[in-house]
Amino acid sequence: MTLQEIIDRLNLTVLTEKKDFTAITPSGVYASDLLSCVMAGAHRRGLWITLQSHVNIVAVAALLDLSAVIITEGSTPEPDVIQKANREEVTLLLTPAPTYTVAGKLWELGLREG
Amino acid sequence: MAQLPLSEQDMLVDRGAGFITRAEELAYELKVEQVMTRDVKTVTPRTLIIDVLNLFREARISGAPVVDQDRLVGVISIEDLIRALRDSGRSELRASVSDYMTTRLVTVNVYDSIIEALKLFAKTKLGRLLVVDRAGRLAGIITKGDITRGLLNALQRDIETEELKRYRASHLFEDIISDRTSLILRYHIAPRDFINGGAASSNIKRALLRLGANPQLARRCGVAVYEAEMNLIIHATNGGDIEVEIEPHQIVIHVTDDGPGIEDIEQAMQPGFSTAPPEIRELGFGAGMGLQNIKRSVDELNIESTPARPRLIMKPKRGREEWELSREPAPGQGTRLTMKFFLQADQSLERHSSTGRESAE
Amino acid sequence: MRLADVLNIVQARFFLPDSVQSPSPSVLNRELRVGGSADLMSDVLCYDMSQGLLITGLINPQTVRTAEMVDVAAILIVRGKTPPPETIRTAWEAGIPLLGTQMTMFEACGRLYMANLPSAVRFAGAPPPDCTAH
Repeated sequence: MTLQEIIDRLNLTVLTEKKDFTAITPSGVYASDLLSCVMAGAHRRGLWITLQSHVNIVAVAALLDLSAVIITEGSTPEPDVIQKANREEVTLLLTPAPTYTVAGKLWELGLREG
Repeated sequence: MAQLPLSEQDMLVDRGAGFITRAEELAYELKVEQVMTRDVKTVTPRTLIIDVLNLFREARISGAPVVDQDRLVGVISIEDLIRALRDSGRSELRASVSDYMTTRLVTVNVYDSIIEALKLFAKTKLGRLLVVDRAGRLAGIITKGDITRGLLNALQRDIETEELKRYRASHLFEDIISDRTSLILRYHIAPRDFINGGAASSNIKRALLRLGANPQLARRCGVAVYEAEMNLIIHATNGGDIEVEIEPHQIVIHVTDDGPGIEDIEQAMQPGFSTAPPEIRELGFGAGMGLQNIKRSVDELNIESTPARPRLIMKPKRGREEWELSREPAPGQGTRLTMKFFLQADQSLERHSSTGRESAE
Repeated sequence: MRLADVLNIVQARFFLPDSVQSPSPSVLNRELRVGGSADLMSDVLCYDMSQGLLITGLINPQTVRTAEMVDVAAILIVRGKTPPPETIRTAWEAGIPLLGTQMTMFEACGRLYMANLPSAVRFAGAPPPDCTAH
């Protein structure tokens, strides 16, 4: 499933610059709010679900070359976080839904850990 | 915690459900020796059947263990007596127990949970089980009736204990007459004590419930004081103190520390503002939501903080040729958080004006 | 959904103090109203988690304390983590069943969501979560 389909099906807001999301197919999904867990557990080119919108998430996403970060609970990042994400070419997506629901819906769509 | 009995029909149903659940738990907790009958009529292998019959009739029992010099050797029941009579009529009443007793023994240990006895009852269809001690000697017998009685007694004790505690606590404010009665709970919170972090909040929440506070109020107080307690653990240099002042119509919680203080209170009140280091974030705290959660939970919030001004301390070294300079925060500074909760008339902790839980009278 | 169903769905096991051999059957019958997952405890406090299942990767005793404050019915630890004895003891004393699964948070949430455990709802007036750049 492409990132564009995921964005459409979950009605996600794209916070960073638009890319050709139809060309991106996430390798899997990881949910955690603890950066150390994400560093250890998330797959390269995967999707990361978290309610953290701290600037550190951009660094972790860039380091792991993640397809996108889905920020939950409408936890809108500050403008400088979005700017940094654009510089690092990290895609940030936003939803008002909690992590539990986002994980549930992605699982329902057939996505797996990777 | 067991529901207290209430007059409404639906509450009684809930109470019944609570009883069943608790009884199940008790079946695992209670030991056989706590419910068994200790004073057991026994016979020997040489006792005559006629004497067993008389014993059964006088003691109104339907079976007895057979003991030979301290050793459990069998069991004789009314069914065995009937068999003896059917076999050879009245003459067999002169036979001895050893001829008719059952030697295949079904026993439970004194230290088994009563659930083990219940399983054996279901498996064997027997009416009584022999209870043996660690040395294998007869210690008593247990029937389904003993178990029912034991469970009911334990349930009763549970309820009485909890009701007594609640009764004592919830009548505090009317038993003591004064112009203004308040109950004060004090806790000291050690810095960086992540193991016990939250224990004070847990105790405060339980105390409020026992005093008759409704669950929503107890939850609001719990959430607010918990965030404040974690703040002390994370930020306060020497920890701090929590003081809960409970009055019938309001609860005031003071949280004080002599830590570094808050530089800019308005900034600290912004959602997401945090000065917590990354290792605290990895513990699940320091996301800058603490004060927000407190604000949401309380009816009134007052924060006084004096940020520590650095103090220069000079100490002479090596015969005053050199001076060692150090910066330390001046003492007597810190933060004082006052959280107030106002109780509506129908939530009052004073019994005569409260609406719920009128059971213990 | 009952706690027994959760055990099946996410192949969980109980964490019990050494002195306790098995949970009582009434705990398995405990009814769960909602589910919620987070590794940030302040965020958990923003949700109406009463009678809910808290799904988290945090294993320190604060997880239990947080759960206790909002009347959580049970805690599910994900990612195969084993909580330290003090967490297990705190949970036992608070009467909150503590479960663990090898699954990730994503898989556990996914499977429970698919099995119709609804999501917890955020309290009205709860602050927006972590939106800091500080």
